[in-house]
This record gives sequence, C-alpha cells and structure tokens, in this order.
Amino acid sequence: MKLINLLTIWYTLITMIALFLGGLLIFKKFESEIDFELGRELDRQIDAYAERIESGAPADRLIYDKLEIREIPYELPLEELYLRDTVAYHDPMNRAENQLKASKSYKIDGKHYRISYYNIVVETEDITETVVITMFSVFLIQLLFLGFFTRIGSNKILRPFHKTLDQIRSFNFQKNEPLHLPENSIAEFEKLNSFLEKMSQKLLNDYRQIKEFSENLSHEIQTPSAIIRGKLEHLMNEQISEKQALMIQSAYQSNEKINKIVRSLSMLAKLENEEFEAPEKIDLSPIVQKIIEGMTELIELKNLEVKTQIQENSSVKIHPFIAEVLIQNLINNAIKHNVEGGKLYVELNDYSLRIENSGALPEKDPEEFFDRFSKGNTNSDSIGLGLSIVKQICRRYNLRPIYRIENNLHVLTILFK
Amino acid sequence: MKILIIEDNPELTQNMVSYLQGENILCETVANLFDAQDKLLSFQYDCIVLDLMLPDGNGLEILDFIKNKKLSTNVLIISAKDSLDDRLKGLDEGADDYLPKPFHLSELLARLRAIYRRSRLGGSDQLVFNEISLDTALIQVKVAENILDLTKKEFDLLLFFITNKNRVIGKEAIAQHLWGDYTDDLANFDFVYQHVKNLRKKISQAGGNDYIKTVYGIGYKFDPNVS
Repeated sequence: MKLINLLTIWYTLITMIALFLGGLLIFKKFESEIDFELGRELDRQIDAYAERIESGAPADRLIYDKLEIREIPYELPLEELYLRDTVAYHDPMNRAENQLKASKSYKIDGKHYRISYYNIVVETEDITETVVITMFSVFLIQLLFLGFFTRIGSNKILRPFHKTLDQIRSFNFQKNEPLHLPENSIAEFEKLNSFLEKMSQKLLNDYRQIKEFSENLSHEIQTPSAIIRGKLEHLMNEQISEKQALMIQSAYQSNEKINKIVRSLSMLAKLENEEFEAPEKIDLSPIVQKIIEGMTELIELKNLEVKTQIQENSSVKIHPFIAEVLIQNLINNAIKHNVEGGKLYVELNDYSLRIENSGALPEKDPEEFFDRFSKGNTNSDSIGLGLSIVKQICRRYNLRPIYRIENNLHVLTILFK
Repeated sequence: MKILIIEDNPELTQNMVSYLQGENILCETVANLFDAQDKLLSFQYDCIVLDLMLPDGNGLEILDFIKNKKLSTNVLIISAKDSLDDRLKGLDEGADDYLPKPFHLSELLARLRAIYRRSRLGGSDQLVFNEISLDTALIQVKVAENILDLTKKEFDLLLFFITNKNRVIGKEAIAQHLWGDYTDDLANFDFVYQHVKNLRKKISQAGGNDYIKTVYGIGYKFDPNVS
C-alpha cells in the first residue's frame, strides 16, 4: 500500500469522527438555543396578553388555538414561567404537531389567570437533517481537496524521495560511483539522502577492500603453494624410499587441495562481484558436445551408458568462459559420482540443460549440495565447492538450478528463463 | 635453447631453473621489468617466461617492449592472476601461451618445448628416442618402423613423457596436461593409470622397450636406462 493512500485513509477516518462529534455538538447547541429563544418569545407574548387583560380586554374573547387562558383559584401562588413540550392541534397545518407550551399566571383585578401560549417547535429531525447535510457537504469538500492533494501535492512533495529511490535502484558496484543525491529542502529527505550517500561510499569502500582481499588472497596463497609444488616435484626426483614417497605424495595432494579451494573461492568471488558480463546469447550445444568429447576416455573407463539429446542453437545469455565452467562442472560431477557401468543422460534444449546420472543416493536433501563445502560423502576427496559455483553462476545469469532424485537417478536441471 | 625468466619470487625462479637446466635449457633470470629490458636489449633469447605481477609494473609492458624493439622472441606468460582479462590481453598482445600459476614444472617444460617447436621448427619436429620416433606434425609414432595406433591423448602422453624423460611426473601433472584444469576435480586418478597402461601395452606390442616406470604411488617416470 502506498504511504499516501494510508495517510488518506487515516485522515479520512479521523475527519469522519471529528465531523460526527462536531455534528452532535452543533445539534445539541442548536436545539437548546432554539428552545431558549422560543421560550423568550412565548414569554413576551404571554406578557403582552396579560397587559391586554389588564387594560380591560375580556379574557375569554382573546382565546384562540394558540392561546389558552384559564382562571384558577386566587389563593394559589403566582406561577413562574413554565415551559414544556406537548402535542397540540396546529391550525394552519390542520393536525396535531409537536409544540412548545409556555404558561405563567397573573393576578389581575382580583382574578388569577393562567395564561398558556403554544408555538410550534423546530422538529429535531429537521435539525438533524440540516446538521447531517452540512457536515456531509464539508466532508465531501474535504475529500475533494484531499484527492487533489494526493494527486498533485504529494507527487510534488514526494518527488525527491522517488528520485532517491531511482538512484538507489541504479546503484551498481561495477560502476564504482557513490550515490549523488540532489539537495533537498525537506529536512527528513535531506537526512535520508546524506545518510544514503555516506552509506554508498562506505559500501563501495568495503566492496573494493573485499575484492582486493580476495584477489590478493588467491595470489598470495598461490605463489607459496606453487613453490611447495615445485619443491615436492624436485623431491620426487631424488633418491627416495617408498616411505618418503608416500609422505611426499600426501603433502603434494594436500597442497593441490589448497590450490583447488583457493581457485574455486576466487572464482566464486569473481562471480559474486558480477564480473564476466554477458552481452549476448551464446549457443551452448557446441560447448556441451566439446566437453562430453573431452571426457570420452573417462566415460569409457567407467563403462557409462551415455545418451545425449542436444538441440542446436540452444542459446543462453551467459559468458562463454563461464558457460564452459558450468557445464564442465556438471558433467564432471555426473561422471565422478557415477558408478561402474552407470548411466549418464544429457539433454539440452532451448529451455533447459538436464543431466541425469546414476550414483549412490544421498541421505540428505540433494538441494543442500548447492551449499558451500557440502559433500555427499565426507570422506570423498572433492572439496564441495563445485555445485556452489554452479549455484552462483545460475544466480549471476538468472538461471534456475534444480537438483532432484528421480527413478533412483540424480537429476540436475538448469532452467533457462 | 636459451630462455629468460622474468619472475620476482626467488624461490619460484629457483624451482624453474633447477628443473629446466637439467633439460639442457640455458636459463637467465631477472626479477623486475627494468632488468628485463636491459637483458633483452643485450642478448638474444628463444623464449621469455614472463610473470605479470612485477614490483615495478605489469609484465604486459614487456610485450609492448618486444613489439617496439622488433625482437624475435617467444613469450610464455605465467601468472597467478588467474583472470580471464589478463589471459586474453596477453595473448592479444603477442604472447605465445599462458600458463596459470601454480603450474607443474613438467607442464612448463612441455609448453616451452611446444612453443619452440611451433616457432623455430614450423611445428614439425622429429623426436627420436632410441627406437621410438615421434612426428609432431603428423601426430604419428613409430616404434622400430612400426606405426603405432595411438589416440590423440596417448600421443600427447608419450610426448609429455619424452619431453620430461628421466623425471618423475606426478599423476596430477599428467591429468592436468591431458584434460586441463577441471579434471583435477576427478579425485581418483585411475584414468591416468589406465592411459599409461594402454600406452605401455601398445609400445611393447610394437616391439618397443617398456621405458615407463611406476614410481611408488606418486607417478611415472620415462626411464631411458631401462634394460
């Protein structure tokens, strides 16, 4: 939900409550004010009639539908003005109506008169109607302005915010440029912008450091590792006993392993750094074919039953070197973890690359093999980075890797979107 | 064959020199660009082994230098900077080959010999070792005038052995030489064993001596002194 919509909803709700309460108040005030004014008016009328009686007008001649004069015993004390609601016959409308009745007594010439005067009151429904209509109109006008504000006003106010968002979206480590956001007169946005600028600068610095570190690391380890390898190769050529040979072999293999790990990690780092841009689609079919051909001897050695179904012009947007790494990795895995006389099926088309192979079934969820240093068999000599490289490649080029077990076969599918 | 090694790590240089010297290759060494240019102006080399990360600059500058001075020498780049860009740039700028560090010394020797064959001998070379002769242009092997029926990989393997004769070659080095970088992921080296076995069998069947010896579990040695 957009912020402005949320604000509008809240604002509308609050306004509705305020208008409702205000309406109630106005209604009450109206009602009491009308009653008060009406009472005063009736009082004046009654006084006027009393004066007329005093000046000799016969009381019983004055009476009409609004006026009621009654003689009451003289001994009774004088009655103060007394107002009450009543239903009485209203002549002009020819029906009983809600009326306000005011009565008061006067002692004139030794007689005690109670004079009551009626007048029609403004009905509550009428007041309610007026108040509701007024409040509703106010509400509508407010809504109109609010709509106007959200359409135009908010766009104008939030424009710098959207600009900032656009800039963040286009922020890229490869470009190596920190964010430069325009000055802003709104304090909050200015704060946000300066914070983002600082953060982007820091991110780039950290990124550069990590990148340099991983590059240096691979260089710094590879050089001594190359020296170790050379020395061991020299040692192999000396007069050595079998025992020594085994030690050399073991040291040599461990050194090779270090090498492999460093190389794989540096490959992962490069992929994470989004190196290897892929400007155009390339056809994977010749690469798959070439790699399978290169593995012929290994396939024959394990007596694997190979079936391939490779569709030409199966294009994917990927860097050619990385495509080779990806396919090499997958096919290597399918051969390495295969069993003697096992199966290897490779299928490539426009939508996917599917590699099926027999092999020991894993105890855990095969998807976990995509994690770093995750191995099916802890004793195996593999370092467990092959599939995480596959995963990283897929992430880099928007491909989807799926690893399943189907019909007792390992099935690794790479979906091209 | 005379080469110049431009490498700033003395241990690595020493490794290379002691391996190559035994193969009748005359090695001179420098540790920076400045000395390298000095040497290149004064002497003639068949090949340069060039490291890219040098204390006084990028080794790629040497390629420009060679071009500008119109020197006729081959260049083999060795670099730990395993980046694709450098590899492509190096080959574009006229390097003959690129060997990422760390490499097997046997591989370095094989590459140097291959460059030498390509540039000085026009790619064709008759390697003769006792009764075995290899023709690198035809990819053909004869044992006492019998033509051997070898696969491309077996031929490469034999050439690799003869190039590195009298040396112990590790199984890893063989695997990498024949299948490239990624096969070292194939943890067991049965396939190397299988290939060597096939090659030995074919040579023996053609009446050749079995020169290839197993050295404990480490690897193999092409031993000319076999009786």
